[in-house]
Parts: sequence; structure tokens; C-alpha cells
Amino acid sequence: MVATSLERQGNGSPRFRGCTNIRDFEFLGKLGEGTFGEVYKARSKRDNTIVALKKILMHNERDGFPITALREIKLLKMLSHTNILHLREMAVERSKGEGRKKPSMYMVTPYMEHDLSGLLENPSVRFTEAQIKCYMLQLLEGLKYLHANSILHRDMKAANLLISNKGVLQIADFGLARPYEEPPPQPGKGGGEAKRDYTTLVVTRWYRPPELLLQLRRYTTAIDMWGVGCVFGEMFKGKPILAGNSDLNQAHLIFNLVGSPTEETMPGWSLLPGCDGVKSFGNRPGRLSEVFRDQSSNAVSLLRELLRLDWKKRINAIDALNHPYFADPPLPARPGELPSFEDSHELDRRRFRSNRAVMPPAPTGGSIAMATNGSWTTASGIRPPVAENKSSRLPSAVRSSRPHPSAGHGHSQARSSDNRLAESHTSQARLDEESHSGPWRRGGLPPKPPASAHQWHSGNMGRIGRERDYNRAGGRPEIYVDSHVHAHVNTNAVDYSRERDNNINLSTDRHDQSRESLSRRRSRSPFARDGARDTDRALYRR
Amino acid sequence: MATPASSGLKFMSNALATPEQLSNSSSSIDGVAPDLEASIRFAGALLTQAAGVYLRLSQDIIAQAIVTFTRFWIGSEGGSLRIYNVKDVSAAALYLTAKLSFQPTSPRSILNVYGFLVSKEASPLWCTNPSPITEKPPNPETYVLTEGQYQAQRLGLMRMEALILRTLGFNTHVALPHTVSLTYLQTLGVTAPAVARRVFAHLNAALMSPQLLYVTHQPNALAVAAIYLAAREEGVKLVNSEWWEVFDVDREELGFLVVAMRSMEGFATAELEKWKGRAVPMTVEEVEAEIERRRAEGE
Repeated sequence: MVATSLERQGNGSPRFRGCTNIRDFEFLGKLGEGTFGEVYKARSKRDNTIVALKKILMHNERDGFPITALREIKLLKMLSHTNILHLREMAVERSKGEGRKKPSMYMVTPYMEHDLSGLLENPSVRFTEAQIKCYMLQLLEGLKYLHANSILHRDMKAANLLISNKGVLQIADFGLARPYEEPPPQPGKGGGEAKRDYTTLVVTRWYRPPELLLQLRRYTTAIDMWGVGCVFGEMFKGKPILAGNSDLNQAHLIFNLVGSPTEETMPGWSLLPGCDGVKSFGNRPGRLSEVFRDQSSNAVSLLRELLRLDWKKRINAIDALNHPYFADPPLPARPGELPSFEDSHELDRRRFRSNRAVMPPAPTGGSIAMATNGSWTTASGIRPPVAENKSSRLPSAVRSSRPHPSAGHGHSQARSSDNRLAESHTSQARLDEESHSGPWRRGGLPPKPPASAHQWHSGNMGRIGRERDYNRAGGRPEIYVDSHVHAHVNTNAVDYSRERDNNINLSTDRHDQSRESLSRRRSRSPFARDGARDTDRALYRR
Repeated sequence: MATPASSGLKFMSNALATPEQLSNSSSSIDGVAPDLEASIRFAGALLTQAAGVYLRLSQDIIAQAIVTFTRFWIGSEGGSLRIYNVKDVSAAALYLTAKLSFQPTSPRSILNVYGFLVSKEASPLWCTNPSPITEKPPNPETYVLTEGQYQAQRLGLMRMEALILRTLGFNTHVALPHTVSLTYLQTLGVTAPAVARRVFAHLNAALMSPQLLYVTHQPNALAVAAIYLAAREEGVKLVNSEWWEVFDVDREELGFLVVAMRSMEGFATAELEKWKGRAVPMTVEEVEAEIERRRAEGE
């Protein structure tokens, strides 16, 4: 055993070394597929641990190695915290014969059985209060660490929170994260103030804070805290609490829930550009305590702090951890005490799909290999996408109910997956199409009406679109893609909860089975419709 | 849970090369003489610095790129000068570093600048264009990239970028001593701008050191050595005690670094002299030709 030093790691290998060979891993099966990567479950032959391998696809050669992946890797390599997904190493697969083919690169992370979104979708899973507290504490610890290290996550949502069967929660998906150039939050001081502009094209819509919807560019770590509030509410409700179908609708939903903005509740709001030009939101009182009337007063109090319109006063992670809610009985469970659920992942779920009558149309930017999957192709053949505007919660409507289908959306359905990827660089249209997922089989239930029998599930929901980065004065002939946005690797490598029939471990609450509107649409990146505006808004982080 | 201290250290420190890695470079295994390897690495670092200046990148990006460039050649798993073109590795290191920074630059800008800087007729660099600068402007055909060349070289750039990432295990993080040196100066109560300028000069020169100072020493040690040296050169008196201990640098390491930094000027002059009238090899072919030439001379 060699002591850890600046030259060597604990296991004696040089700190400074190349990638592991992929042959050090034994593949155990595919977990899922995303636009920018395939995810596999594998066993490390070195230490016999189970890992998730996320392949980084290199279809797009224009700017070389995908900057989102690069930045995510760089950030993850610097972070080390129990509640942040750990990037163990990078692995490389050399093609045979050292031919012209480029080698594939993989991110190696621990295998996590679920994501929070997947768990909440499972009707047989009903969180106890102690469990919710346990997850919240871990989420806040992770976020406190991130913010203390001056990193904005910028894509906080249930789907990006991975949960192991040991009850450990980890924040994943750093594809939109970036260093934060202001002082880290101080106790009692909320998120502080920002002195520079950042792009507003971040955070999946359902979790996007009001100041972002109103186009505040000098935002702070408080944007992540809003997402925590949304996740907190989601754990009580079993579904996203603010599922807007457009930016404007999202703003309305928020103000319906917590009250319209006034100079008192949201100082400075009237100076912001506004949401899609709309700047008046009536005079609604807010009904948070009514909506969450089943919860204790301290729960509602914490929720109110997290969902505070005033981003300068919104509670930060340090203070949230000290909120009396966590001291109330029932006390938070310890991670090890939580029940475990059978893990599952996207591809397993797909196998069941052919039994189902209605399939969601193929997601346009979605899973790259859907053509190889019978149910996908069939399904999309049966149900061509229709742009209709209804607010169905049924998964089959997810794709088609997009209120503002972007240009080219319809066509992209027909594209071959390769094509789609090849175009990913230039097509604004695909901005939000990357989120996708496989429908998901509801666990533990007898066959249900088809619509609710499926779930959208994605490892890569809401991967936000992209923006151009002309941050150098004068621009350049070449396009700079904002690194955070486009070529993203599916981070939720470690997916998720396939629930096999009758596999109800956590089951206590029958009430769930009757929830008819269980199907959740996955939130997805909201930018498709913004194609035209994107170029205007493109002044990425100056 | 990670302590803030250890995570902070991670931002402030670099992965260092092991002695084995330092004594067994891929190039030396492939039969490149150590002095030739040192010359080429030095010229490659110079080229990277010049290209960064031409691209108007800030010095911290250029410095990180040079460290990445230096890391690439280290150890038996690193790159070999008989396999990869120095100029390509330099270009890809700069492209990659800029891409990760807030000042990304385009492949076309990179390739245009490198086309100019490695041109044997047009380049202002002694290591690529040994002929004296003439009054007559160089023929543009000797340095302007055609569209076809651009397309081909762009692919090469992407390939090299991926190769660097693979070789370095995606360790793209480079901690630099520059900012920390200013903090140390303030702590020591030094306010003379001349000292600060001299500190930066030493730190930037050390990027090109044949002793690979940036992959063998941590930023705090580099900063302390540069301050020690700069203060002496500028005649500024520092506190009368072993102040470097405060910054976790011991006398031995400080002594080594001071000697290494002071030797930079002599090393650079000697290199200039050594390659007088000849270009330093920047491609695999040129390296092979140089090895062949030395062999012929030896016989």
C-alpha cells in the first residue's frame, strides 16, 4: 500500500496517467441510450465493483471533443463529496487494428439503482416523511458543497438525482454546470448577489426559478435552491409540482402557487425584461399552504423559503440544513435504513412495451437506437406526432402536446438516428428533443389502460438546448457552441427503477395505486421554441 | 464527507509526474536523445506561447496549454516525438485549453496562426524560421492555408485533441502559480510593481524549463521561488526569517527551484546558439531527419 501523495494515488498508481482500457470492464448489459451516449452496466475486473459506463459519442466532429462532456468531466474530476456522483475514471475502447476509427471514450461512475424521478413514478413507492427528510438533507449537503466550491449546477431536478439502494442520494449531470464567479453563499444571506451576467438558457423549465423566467441574467446560487424546492414539493406530491407547458405558462403556474410578484415579494422584478414580453401577472395571493395542507407547518415553511420569489432572500443550502423541519419528528432516516427497491433501467422497460397498445411517438432527438427496437418503430409508425395543444398528462401525449413545436420538429421524426446526430450541431430544432426516454412500465400493477401504463423515462431529460457562444468580441466565423449545452452525454447513467411486476418493496401505501394521473411527463428542455430568439439571446456569459 | 480543505487543495494543486515517468519518456524509449527532446519540447512551448499571443488568448490559458503540452510527452505512456508532430500537439493543446476557458477559439484561427508560425519563410520565431528577417514581406503562399489544407488539418486537430485527452486521462485541470503568487506578495507586504512583474516573468519563463518545473512542483512552490528570486533581483528586502515555510515550501525545494529558474536565461541562450541557422524539428519527419543527421555526423 502506497501512501497517497501528490504523485501517486492510494493504490500506488500514478495520479498522472492515461485512461483505463475498456477491457478492464466486463459488460453486463445496456442500461439506456441517450442522444449523446449509451449507458452500460459493467463490472470492474480490477476490484469487482459494479459501475455504469457512459459512452461519449463522437458523431459531431465540427468542434472536436464535445465541450459539454469535457466540462462535465473536468468539474466532476475536481469534486469529491458523498452526495455528488463520483467520476471514478475514464475508460477508452481502442478499435481493433488501430484503424481509422476513433476510439470510444467512457465515463466510469458508480452504479446507482434509481433516480428520484423514476422512484416517484413508481406507484408502489410512497415516500415516508423520514425518507423525504433523508433525501432532502443529502441533496442540501451536496448542493452546499457545490456552492461552497463556487459551482452552479443549473439543472437541478428529480431526474438528475440518483439514488442507490443504500439510500444514498447523489447529484448528477453536470452538463450545464459552470463555475460561479461570485463569493459563495454565507449563512443567513441567501444566495447573495451576482455581479456578472450568465446565460438564462439553463434549467429545465419545470424547475426553472421565476427570476430566470423573467430573464434575470445576474443570477446566483439561488437558482439551484428553487429547484430543490420543486423537488421537495415533488416528493410530497409524487409528481412535478410546476409542470408548465411553456415559459409563460410556467410563470403563471409559479405565481398561482406562491403569489404574484410585487415589489415586496420580489424586489426588482418589474425591472426585468419579463417572460416572453409579458410583465403583468395579476394579483394573486398564493396558495402554497392550501396546496400542501397535508404537510406539517415546518414542511410548508421550508418549502416557502425555497420557493421564495425574492432570489436575494431565498434560503441557501447552509441555512436550509438548519431548518427546524429537520428537527421535527419524525426525524430524518439514515440512508442505510431506507427500504430498497429493485433497480431497473430503460432497456428492460422497453421489453414490455410491445404488449402495450399505445406507444408514445418516437422522441425526435431521443434514443439513438430506437430503430433497432421493434416497439419503438412500430409505435412511432402508428402514432405520428401531432402538434396539439392539450395538457394531457399521459405519456403518449408528451411528444405531441408540445405547445410550440419547433421548426423541423416534424421532419426530424423521419430522420435516421445518425442523421439526427449529425445535424445536432446545426439544428436548433433539436434543442429539446434530446430528452427522451423510454416509456416505462409501471411497477407492480396489473395491466392498466395503456396510456398510464407507460412512463417517459429518460436519463437525459431536459438536456437543454444549446446556445452559441460569441463571447469574444466580434464573433468568429466558426460557431461556438456553448459548451454547456449541446453535446451532452447522458449522465443519468445509472438509471433507474425497472419495477417488475409484483415487486413492491416499499409498498405500504395503497393510495398510490389509485393515482390515476401518475404518469408523469418528463420535463424537458424548453428551448425548442426559442429557435429564433436564441441567436439574440446568445450572448453567452460575458 | 470531504472536508473543504482537501477539496480546496484539489483546485490549487496539480497531478505531478513520478520519477519513473520523468526518466522514461516515450521519446527516449524510441531513441530520441535527451538533449534533442529537451530542445524540441522547449521550441514547442515557445511555439505554443507565440500562437497564444497571436490568438490574443490570455496568459493563463496559454500557460495551461503549455502545461498540458508538457504533460503529453511525459512517461512511457505519453506521446513520442517519433510518432506525433510537435506542432500538432501544441495546436491541439491550445485549442483544447481555450475551448475549456471563457475564451474559446476556432479551429480555423488556430490553424491559420500555426500555419504562419511554422512557416520556414514567414515565421517570426527563431526556432521555425532561422533565416534572418528581411525587409521584403514573405510570400503569402508560404503561410496562408488553402481551404483544402484547412479541412484536412482540422480533422487532424480533432484527432490530436482526442488523443491528448486519452493520454492524459482527461486531466485537463491545471492549477497555475500566478494568482497565488500575488496573494503571497501581499502577505509579505511587497507592494513594488516591479517585483510582481518580475515574478510573472519568472513564472512564465519556467513554463519552458527543461526541468519541467510545472509537472514536478506545485504552484505554491513555484510562486515562492519566483518571489524569492524577483525580490533579490529587484533589491527588495523580504522579512528576515524563513518565510517560505509559511507557504509550505522547504529550503531544499526552494533552492532547487531558484537555481532552475535562474538557469532559464542561460538555457534559452544556449538553445538559440545551438540551433543557429537551423530550424528545430517540428514534425516527425524533421525529427527523423535530425536523428539521421546526428547519426551521420557521429560516424
